[in-house]
Amino acid sequence: MKILIIEDEKDLMDNILAYLSAGDFVCESASSKAEALDKLSGFNYDVVILDIMLPDGNGLQILSHIRNENPDTGVLIVSAKNALDDRLRGLDLGADDYLTKPFHLSELNARIRAIFRRRKLQGQTVLQFNEIAIHTNNHEVLVHDASLELTLKEYELLLFFVTNKNRVLTKQAIAEHLWGDNVDYLQNFDFVYQHIKNLRKKIMANDGRDYIKTIYGLGYKFTDK
Amino acid sequence: MRLLTKTTLWYLVFALIMFTIGGLIAMSMVRTVVNRETDYELQQTLREIRNAAAFENGLDIYNERNSVSIRAFPKGHIIRPDTILKDTFIYLKRTDRVEGFRKLITNTQLEDQFYHIEISEIIIEEGDIISVVSWIIIRLFLFLTAALLIGNFLISKNLFRPFEHLLKSLDRFRIKTNEPLSTMSTKTQEFKRLNQFAEEMTNKARLDYQNLKEFSENASHEMQTPIAIAQGKLELLLESPDLDEEQLSLVHTTQQSINKISRLGQALTLLTKIDNEEFSGKESIDFSKIIASNVQNFRELAEMQGITLEDQLDKGVQIKIDPVLADILVTNLLKNSLQHNVPGGWVKVHLTGDYLEVKNSGEPPKLPTEQLFQRFKKNNQSKGTLGLGLAIVKRICEVNGCEVEYAYASEEHALRVTFSH
Repeated sequence: MKILIIEDEKDLMDNILAYLSAGDFVCESASSKAEALDKLSGFNYDVVILDIMLPDGNGLQILSHIRNENPDTGVLIVSAKNALDDRLRGLDLGADDYLTKPFHLSELNARIRAIFRRRKLQGQTVLQFNEIAIHTNNHEVLVHDASLELTLKEYELLLFFVTNKNRVLTKQAIAEHLWGDNVDYLQNFDFVYQHIKNLRKKIMANDGRDYIKTIYGLGYKFTDK
Repeated sequence: MRLLTKTTLWYLVFALIMFTIGGLIAMSMVRTVVNRETDYELQQTLREIRNAAAFENGLDIYNERNSVSIRAFPKGHIIRPDTILKDTFIYLKRTDRVEGFRKLITNTQLEDQFYHIEISEIIIEEGDIISVVSWIIIRLFLFLTAALLIGNFLISKNLFRPFEHLLKSLDRFRIKTNEPLSTMSTKTQEFKRLNQFAEEMTNKARLDYQNLKEFSENASHEMQTPIAIAQGKLELLLESPDLDEEQLSLVHTTQQSINKISRLGQALTLLTKIDNEEFSGKESIDFSKIIASNVQNFRELAEMQGITLEDQLDKGVQIKIDPVLADILVTNLLKNSLQHNVPGGWVKVHLTGDYLEVKNSGEPPKLPTEQLFQRFKKNNQSKGTLGLGLAIVKRICEVNGCEVEYAYASEEHALRVTFSH
């Protein structure tokens, strides 16, 4: 999967590169509008991560350019502005998703993959992790080819884990992924454990291995290592 | 009341007083002049009688007059001459009423004999003077009033036009637009200064508004980016394979603090934006729907906390508020009720056409409930809350003209937002 990251903050760019490069991404970067337009005219990208506040112009202009020139490219807007009209304007202009700073890198990863699945594979994709297969087109999960009955939240949780496999996911990142910004009032996210426990139980009931490792006090990691 | 109407009314009140005093003075002057004139007439008649006495039977024609009576003293009789003037009343057959008269009574010598002479002259009645003077005064007053009204009309049409124009354009002035304040050029010095002052003030207000707006936008952007960087670095740090439990815990605590800074920045920016009236949409929205969808969103979170969330919502409640603010208002009330709750507690949301009430179980407040609307006033300092949620609720209510009250009684907290219709 080929990705272009358009971001003028070098440190933030480094973070994204470091996190995404560990997966099956090929990442390129552009730190200005001019550089971004240059790269976009020369190469095709599956997904573009676009910061709409750039030193030499509004990123929304790049978005229009992408929509005109490369309609197949997915666009994820990243912005420090939580302003609703910015969000709506971005989505109106054809962005696939909108992420507000600060964000969890795991969330960014999950969103990019979701965009990629929707756009490139028209939803026809199976995420395989050893004996677990997630059919994202019809939200079906198979363990050893046997169907698993999951609630919507458990399904989203499993998908988030598999998307960010071998990574430490804090309870907060999980909670925010599943319930959105509204969880910010909570002092602790221990309730996430309930859902983890149920998911774990259901997978193991189908003879699946327990891949969810608990990292004490911090969160979880989905790994077979 | 308009300024001109007011000054006119005052003017008329003063004029009425002055005209009354003037009328009284005029009356007494008329009285004096008339008396003087009557006395002169009487003396004149007396002089004529004296002249007539020189002729034979010269006094006879005077004696025939009703107004004159001449009585001769016997010859050789000597009287000390003297003259008095006095007011008196006489019955007049001709008019069949008693009239006021001025009378000259004198004992005087004509030629070689002494006479007692009485001459009377009818005088103008008090009532006649009053009616004439007040007739004049009242008409003058009416003329003055009419002139003032016409004058007013002309003044407000011409002289006050720049002022009225300025008032109208101030009325139309919107801080968010860039349309300059329209003023009317004038030669009146006061209005010139007023126009200049208004122009300067509005420009300054606009500039301040723009600066504050840019500042809050920049503050948001400039703060959130480094926070995003720090958070990303910590997330990457968590990936290091050989972190022990203590180090993980350090990273975790740092993450939480950074998260709190980020939320703090967002909440303060939000408050600034509300103060700056950046959410100015005042469309009528279906408040019931907004609350219902938020209750739906929070129900699962509440259940996971072991809190029951009940709602009783009237359908189709319309209020005029910016939709973004309406959403923030409701989420903040719900978050507050869940945050300051007790395990196994409850939350009840009640919406009617007049108010929205969110009640929840919870420990007694340690501060007077009114203070909890102030920024950073918290019931429990140790809890990791921001202490801005209710401040935001309060500001949103103020901006939209709603009332918000916080009541506590027997382990039951109630926040009620009363709508203005």
